[in-house]
Amino acid sequence: MSRFQIDKFISYVEGSDQAVRDYVADPEGFVAAWEERAASSRLPHPDSGTLSAEERTALVNRDHAELYRLGAHQYVLWHFVEAIRVWTGEVTWPEMKEQFRKDIAPHGTPDCST
Amino acid sequence: MAELAAILGVPHNPLLWRTMRSDPVPEDLVQTRANFTRFADAIDAADVDVLVVVGSDHLRQFQWGNSPAFCIGKTERFACTFENEIRTFGLEPWEMIGDPELASWLLGDAELQPEIDFAMSNEWVLDHSFTLPAKFLTPDLDIPIVPIHTNANIPPIPRAERYAALGRYLRSRIEAAPFDRKVALIASGHLATEIGGPRQFLGGGSPDPEFDDLATEWMRTGDLDGAIAGCTFERLATAGNVTGQFLNFITALAAARGPASFAEGTPSRFANGPFFLWDL
Repeated sequence: MSRFQIDKFISYVEGSDQAVRDYVADPEGFVAAWEERAASSRLPHPDSGTLSAEERTALVNRDHAELYRLGAHQYVLWHFVEAIRVWTGEVTWPEMKEQFRKDIAPHGTPDCST
Repeated sequence: MAELAAILGVPHNPLLWRTMRSDPVPEDLVQTRANFTRFADAIDAADVDVLVVVGSDHLRQFQWGNSPAFCIGKTERFACTFENEIRTFGLEPWEMIGDPELASWLLGDAELQPEIDFAMSNEWVLDHSFTLPAKFLTPDLDIPIVPIHTNANIPPIPRAERYAALGRYLRSRIEAAPFDRKVALIASGHLATEIGGPRQFLGGGSPDPEFDDLATEWMRTGDLDGAIAGCTFERLATAGNVTGQFLNFITALAAARGPASFAEGTPSRFANGPFFLWDL
């Protein structure tokens, strides 16, 4: 079930230009606020969730290889990476494409079921 | 009375939106452009009243909190598309007209019909799986749509047999409708394709040409049994992590009840693009 929380987070961020900007500006603060909203509500909230320690670390570090290894949905993960790295101007699309493939290669094809 | 006036299958690769509309069309996309034009002419010639588009939402409208196997959109108007698709693919915030009467008939009005347990949506933002085929085939978006989402992206996904059942049902139900409607059934999907996995954009082209050849042959020969047997979850995953969307073409094949008059996996820098057309 934990993989669901990664998918929910990266999908939420990738779905909104403002969320992309806010997350990239302060990943640690963004993740903390995400979890605080979850802790403050009994019911599932559209923009919150509780993460495991390794999920939290991967999201704070914007570590796409680790998110891939943990079983993030690959289609959503790639577009999340495009948003937070390419759209924000950190790297070019060809650079990101090559880097992403190189970084995930050691991890094979993880189970992404939730 | 209603009739199925056209059945076709096309790709919905959103990267085509920017690349294929450049002038001149890039050399590797000339055939893709020509095929879309050919299929648009077929829809035009059929003079259809509505597009029933069988596609697979890409984890935007239907996510992990609610992932129906098959869902029909029943509303007067559909907004298209999401903010991330405008940013990433350059798509535009279009709108499409719905056909609630036909949608309601396909759902089964007050009771679901026995063949398929559809979900229903009265509020649905259409993503590129629906808008790209519609925009390329009917550029003015002036023909109403009934979208049918199939879950090909979030395991567990329906088996190939269920996609065939969907196609058989759509044909029989449309032909039994007590109102006039000329319907184009458009399947939207992929041949072998990988996004976000180790084989994405590996120098262009298909990640699994052998699958593409087999898949195109199933359509060309009308081999529904072969397609069902050949489309296990494992085989589709081996062909690429989003190849499950090929299953939508099994729906078209089952509805057509025979071989396609045109079946091609059209090469491009991205993948082989599926183009299937049946004569009715």
